[in-house]
Amino acid sequence: MAATLCIIVPILVGLALYALPKKSDRIAQIIGIVLGGIIVGFVAISANDADVSVRWLSRPFEARFHVGFGGISYWIALLLAIATFSSLIALSAARARDFVAQMLILEGAMMGVFLAKDLLLFALFWDFMLIPVFVMIVGWGVASRRSDAMNLGARGTRQTAAWRYLIYNMVGGLVLLLATAAFGIAYGSTNVIGATGVTPLGEVWAPWILAGFAFAFLIKTPVWPLHTWMPETYAELPPEVVAVVSAVQSKAGLYGFIVIGLPLFANDMHRFAPVMFVLGLIALVYGAAIALVQTDAKKIVAYSSLSHLGLILIGIFSFNALALQGAVVYIIAHGLFSAALFLTLGYIEQREETREINRLGGLGADNPRLAGGLMLAALAALGLPGLAGFAGELLIMSGLFAAGYWWAALIALVPIVLAAAYMLRLFQMTMNGPHNADLPRRRDLTWTEGLALTPLVIGVVLLGVNPGPVATATANAIHAAVALVPGAKDASR
Amino acid sequence: MNPTFANAVTAPDVAALLPTFIVAGTALVVLFFDFFAPKSARRWLAIGLSILGLIVSAVMTAHQYGHPVVAFSGAYLVGGFSVIFSEITIVATIISLLLTLGVGRDDQIAGSSALVLWSTTGAMLMSGAGNLMMIFLGIELLSLGLYCLCGMSLRSTARESALKYLILSSMASGFMLYGMALLFGATGSVSLAALASAHVGALFAMGVGLFLIGIAFKLSLVPFHVWTPDVYEGAPLTVTAYMSIVTKAGVLAVLARIAYAALPAESATMLLVPVWAVAGLSMIVGNLAALAQTDLKRLLAYSGIAQVGYIVAAFAGRTDYGLRYAMLYFAVYLFMNLGAFGVLALMSRDGETGPQLASFTGLAYRRPWLAGAMTFFLLSLAGLPPTGGFTAKILLLASTTSAGYVWLALLLILGTAISVYVYFKIVRIMFVRADEAHVRDERGPNFTPWIGIAVCAAAVFVLCFYPLTPSDVLPAIK
Repeated sequence: MAATLCIIVPILVGLALYALPKKSDRIAQIIGIVLGGIIVGFVAISANDADVSVRWLSRPFEARFHVGFGGISYWIALLLAIATFSSLIALSAARARDFVAQMLILEGAMMGVFLAKDLLLFALFWDFMLIPVFVMIVGWGVASRRSDAMNLGARGTRQTAAWRYLIYNMVGGLVLLLATAAFGIAYGSTNVIGATGVTPLGEVWAPWILAGFAFAFLIKTPVWPLHTWMPETYAELPPEVVAVVSAVQSKAGLYGFIVIGLPLFANDMHRFAPVMFVLGLIALVYGAAIALVQTDAKKIVAYSSLSHLGLILIGIFSFNALALQGAVVYIIAHGLFSAALFLTLGYIEQREETREINRLGGLGADNPRLAGGLMLAALAALGLPGLAGFAGELLIMSGLFAAGYWWAALIALVPIVLAAAYMLRLFQMTMNGPHNADLPRRRDLTWTEGLALTPLVIGVVLLGVNPGPVATATANAIHAAVALVPGAKDASR
Repeated sequence: MNPTFANAVTAPDVAALLPTFIVAGTALVVLFFDFFAPKSARRWLAIGLSILGLIVSAVMTAHQYGHPVVAFSGAYLVGGFSVIFSEITIVATIISLLLTLGVGRDDQIAGSSALVLWSTTGAMLMSGAGNLMMIFLGIELLSLGLYCLCGMSLRSTARESALKYLILSSMASGFMLYGMALLFGATGSVSLAALASAHVGALFAMGVGLFLIGIAFKLSLVPFHVWTPDVYEGAPLTVTAYMSIVTKAGVLAVLARIAYAALPAESATMLLVPVWAVAGLSMIVGNLAALAQTDLKRLLAYSGIAQVGYIVAAFAGRTDYGLRYAMLYFAVYLFMNLGAFGVLALMSRDGETGPQLASFTGLAYRRPWLAGAMTFFLLSLAGLPPTGGFTAKILLLASTTSAGYVWLALLLILGTAISVYVYFKIVRIMFVRADEAHVRDERGPNFTPWIGIAVCAAAVFVLCFYPLTPSDVLPAIK
C-alpha cells in the first residue's frame, strides 16, 4: 500500500495545489516541503512493505497495477524522496505554487517508474515523467529569464532544449512502448519485473525486444552518442529540477538494464555486452574530456555525469556480482552527490548571476559554508575514499578485474583520475582566487539553503562509510540475475 | 429466388431499426416544438429534446447488445458490432450538441439540431448496413445533413466550406456508386453476403477498388485527404467537432464490415493491402502536415487524418483483437477529440472560428484549468499517459504486431513520434511565460462547453485504467 501512496499522493497534491489562490507561493512551498519530508520518512520505513497488485488488462496479455519496494527499488525510491525533499527546501523559483505542483507530479511519476513491477506500468510512468520536466523547461528555463518570452519566433536555447529533451526521450519512450507491447504478446504477461521463474523468450523475438528496451534506456541515461539532449537540458533547467532529474531520472535507464535486461533477457544481454562496453567506455572518456574544458559550471557537472554513468553501464555489463553491487551503490552515490552539486551551483548562480567559471572566483573567502558544501560534493564526485563515490567506484573496478576485464578497468582509471582534475578545477575557479569586481557580493548560505544540502551530505558520508546495506540488500536479486547469464563470473561467491 | 423486397416487413424488422427511427423522429419533434417555444427557451428546448431522444435511443441500442437480429432479409444487421458503432455515434452527437448549446443563432438552433439528428441516423444505418444499398443510403443521409450544417453561418468561409464539401463528397459518392455498380455486375446481387462468396475476377476487383477509394475519400485517408482541412476550417466549430467523429464512425463501420466479413477469404489480403498502405501513409503525412498548422481547427483536421490511419491499421490482418482495439481507440478518440474541440469552443472568439495557436500563449497561468484540460486531451491524442490514448495505443501496437504487420506498428511509432511535436507545440505555448498585457484573452460567449469537457476528460481518464473491450464485435453478414 505504501508504494501506491508514494505514487498517487504527490501527484494528487500537486494537482490540488493549482486550486490554491495564485499568490499563495509560500503556503504551496510549505505544503511541498512537509509532504516531501513525510514521503522520505514513509519510504524509509516501508522496506518490507507488501506489494500491491490489481488487474489492469487480461487481453491480449496480462498487465497489472503492480507496485512494490522489492530489491533495488527501495533504495532508488529513498534517493528520489531525499532529492525531491532537498530541492523543495532549496526552491527559489518564481511562481512557486505552480513549480511545487510540477515538482510533486514529477516525484510521483518517477516513484511510479522505480516502484512499478509491471512492464506496462513501467512504460506508462516512463512516458509520464517527461511531461513535468518539459513543462518546467518551458516555464522556468534559465534562458527565458533573459530573453523576451513574447518573442515566439525566437530560436532561444530554452526552445531547443525543451524540444531536444522531449523528442529524444519521447522517441525512446515510444520504442519502449512498442517493445513492451511485443513482450506482452510474446510472453503473455507484462507482470514480470522482479518476478521469479520467468522463462526466457524465444530466439526470434528476444533480441529485437531487448534492442527496443536498450535504445530507450541508453537515451535516458544518456550514453554517447545519444546524449546530445542532456547538457543543454541540464544547463537550462532550474537547479532544483536538474538536481532531481540528474540524480534520479537519469538512473531510470540503468535501473531498467538491471531489473529488466538482466533477469528477462540474460542471453541477449550477453550478446549485446561488447557494444555496451564500447559505448560505456566512450561515454566515460568523452564525458571526462569535455568536462575538463567546459567553462559553464553546470555543463562541467553534466558531462561528468555522462562519464560516471558510463562507468555504471560498464559495471552492469560485466555480469559480475561485485561490479553489479558497485553499480547499484554508485547509482545511489551519484544521485546524492550530483543533486548536491547542482543545488550548490544553483546557489552560486543565484548569488553571482553567472555560471561562467572564468568570471567567477574568490567566493570561498566570503562564503565559507557555500565553499564547504561544494567541496564535499566535489570530493564525493571525484571518488575520495570515505565518501559515497569511492565505494561505488572501488566495487565496480574490483568487479571488472575479477571478471577479467582488466583492460576496461585500466581505461576506466584514466577518466577517474581526470575527475579529480575537473572537479578541483571547478572548485578552484569558483571558490579560490580573486573575486571578480563586476560580480555582486552576497551573503553566505542561509540556513534553509544549508538545510537543503544536509540530507544529501549525510547520505554521501553514510554511504561512503558503510555501503553495506545498499550492496547487500540488492545482492540476492543480483546473484539471481547474474546466475542466468551464460559465462558470467560470479566472483563474490 | 424471391426478390428481396417482396418479403413483408415484420415486427422484428421494425424493432431492430427502432433506435434509429427514434433519433430521426426526435428531429421532427424538435422542429415541431420549436414553433411554440418561447423565445428564451428555444435553445434549451431544442438541445434538451434532442439529447433526450438520443439517450432513449442509446438505451434501446444497448439492449440490442448480445441479441443479434437479421432485419429486412439481411439489409440491416444488428449485433455487437453495430451496437458499438451506434453508441459511439450517439455519444459523439450528445457531446457535440452540448458544445452547440452556447453558439449559433437562436432561430437556427432547432433546424441545426434536427439536421444533426438526421445525420446521426445516417451514421447509425451505416453501422448496421448489410447490403450496398443500405450503405449508400446511410452515407447520403449522413452527408446531406452535413452539407447544410457546414453552410449554416453567415461567414463566407462557411459557404465555401459547404460547397467544397458538397462537390468533393459527391465525387467520392460517385466513385463508390460506380464501384457498387461493378460489384453488382460481378455478383448479380447487392447483398454483402453475395460478395463474400463471389468469384474474384477483374470486374470484382475493380468494383472493390473503386468502392474502397470512395471509402478512403470519406475517411480522408492520404492521398484522398485534401478536402478535409479546408472543410474543417470553414465549417462552424461545433459542426467540425461533430463531423470529425460521426462521419468517421459510419464509414469505419462500413470499412470494417467489408474488410472482415464481405470479401472472399482467400483474396481479401490481396484486395486490402492497399488500404493498409494508405493507412500507414496517412499516419505519416497527416502528422507531418499538422506540424505547420497554426489554426487549431486545421491542426486537428490533419491530426484526425493520422488518427484514422492508426485505427484503420488495426484492421490489418483482420484479427478479432484488431477490431476490438480499433473500436476502443476510436471510443477514446471520440472523447479526446471532442474534449479538445470543447476547449477550442471556449477559446474561440465567436464560437465558430478556430482559435489561433498564438492565443494559447501563457494560458496555463491565465486559465490553468482550461490549459490543464487541453494538455490532458493533447497527451491522449499523442498517446501519452495517464490517458486512454496511451492504453488504447499500446493495445493497437500489440494487435498489429501480433497480426504480423510489424511494419505498420513501426509506422505507427514513427507517426506518433512526429505527432508528439505537433501536440506539444500547443502544450509548450500554453506553459510559456508571457507578458499578460500582450495577449488578448478571447473568452468564449459562455461556459456550457465545460460540461462536455468534463465528461470527455473523465472518460479519457477512466479508459486508461479500465479499457473496455467488448467481446462480441465481429461483424456478421447474411
